[in-house]
Amino acid sequence: MTKDFEPKIVAFLCKWCSSAGSDLAGVSRMKYPPNVVPITVMCSGSVSPLYIFNAFQKGADGVLVSGCHPGDCHYIKGNFYARRRIALVKELLDFIGLEPERFKMSWVSAAEGTKYTEIIKDFVKDLKPLGPQKKLRRDL
Amino acid sequence: MVDIEKLRKEAKKILKEGKVKYIIGYTKSSQNFSASPVFITKPEDTSRLIWNPTCVQNLVKFIVDDKQKQCKEKEPDERPIGIMVKGCDSRAINVLIQEKFIDREDVYLLGVSCEELGVLDEKKIAKKLKGGKIEKVDFDKKKNIIISTKDGEVKIPIKEVLAERCLECRANFPVIYDTLYGEKVEREVKEPFKSLNQIESQSFKKRWNFWAEQLDRCIRCYACRSICPMCYCDECVADSINYAVTPETTAEEKAQKIQWIERSPDLSENIGYHLIRAIHLAGRCIDCGECERACPVDIPLRLLNKKLEKAAHELFDYDVGFDHEKPSLISSFKDEDPEDFIR
Repeated sequence: MTKDFEPKIVAFLCKWCSSAGSDLAGVSRMKYPPNVVPITVMCSGSVSPLYIFNAFQKGADGVLVSGCHPGDCHYIKGNFYARRRIALVKELLDFIGLEPERFKMSWVSAAEGTKYTEIIKDFVKDLKPLGPQKKLRRDL
Repeated sequence: MVDIEKLRKEAKKILKEGKVKYIIGYTKSSQNFSASPVFITKPEDTSRLIWNPTCVQNLVKFIVDDKQKQCKEKEPDERPIGIMVKGCDSRAINVLIQEKFIDREDVYLLGVSCEELGVLDEKKIAKKLKGGKIEKVDFDKKKNIIISTKDGEVKIPIKEVLAERCLECRANFPVIYDTLYGEKVEREVKEPFKSLNQIESQSFKKRWNFWAEQLDRCIRCYACRSICPMCYCDECVADSINYAVTPETTAEEKAQKIQWIERSPDLSENIGYHLIRAIHLAGRCIDCGECERACPVDIPLRLLNKKLEKAAHELFDYDVGFDHEKPSLISSFKDEDPEDFIR
């Protein structure tokens, strides 16, 4: 079962850096697993913890939040707020016993297509042995 | 010791002068073991005010209610409200001022110090009594509580039946007040986050089993939300009852009114609700323990908030409710915030 299991990752990518980074990976024909569902948001600071919990509730096996490097934010300080908030979300998810591998954050700039592919590759590699995420999932 | 006569005198004075519109305090309740909240409007009634370790309630919620009522009135009485505050309650006032929900002038704070004690835990006492019904509660000078039941008197040191949060409290006296009763007793709290240790030391699998079992019981009565002085949003994200999806509902309408958390009390929804409540209280919860006290199914809700308090303290060096001039936890940041979890 675990061998055939393909995890589903929901990635919240900020419009100005990470989304452009994933685009670069695409147009450069870099190879990376197709398990990721990218959702472009205006800023990593606009990712509400609700989005993250809801992604897990709707059956995501992993959630990635990605934004610009500190200091590069299009809105100057959005990613600093995100950094604080996501740290709290991570602590909380950890506390209730969700595997820490299931939730990640990264800084990906528009030029870092390779880094993006590596992050996704590693994420998929981490998620495969864990199996499907059933803890927060709604029974559909 | 808190000189209750002095407090009553001050309460009488400010009521007579018309400085405050009413005073919220504690009084002896007729049936329950714990004191009950009281609203005092006449100077001669101030003799009803009491102070002892059974005053468990956080009265700040009534300030929030009054403020919300004032918004709807045509000619609101804008005089301040007098209120008795313990250490934890005074921090709740601080957070409300910090968030500009109330002004400092809206309240007249009669601060009472818990000194080296705190408030009692009803459940701990019930355990000690082994099912005996409380008829009368008294306190002696040696810090014992004397409970009279049908089968006679039981004498218990107060320290043994203090609420868990009081044992971890870092503000046993009010941090903001107009007049203070009792002494500012400094005391050492060795482990301010002790109640978390047991869960944190477990593997995440065990932790999950614990929380799944606890949160599965939730009946979504929202008592925790109703009693919380920090839950003052007009529309809660957990409520979407006024919105029904019919075949005629357009995609646009659906997109504008997203039902983030469904009403059915199943595990996934319960976790969604409690997690988002915990996140919304991050850096705001002052650990008054009211949510846990109000919970009809005994979910240890306090721990979720305590965990985030700990995270704020350890990661961001932020302590809730001590300074109302500081920016709040999630509306500020520092360059040196930890980012070792980010790739």
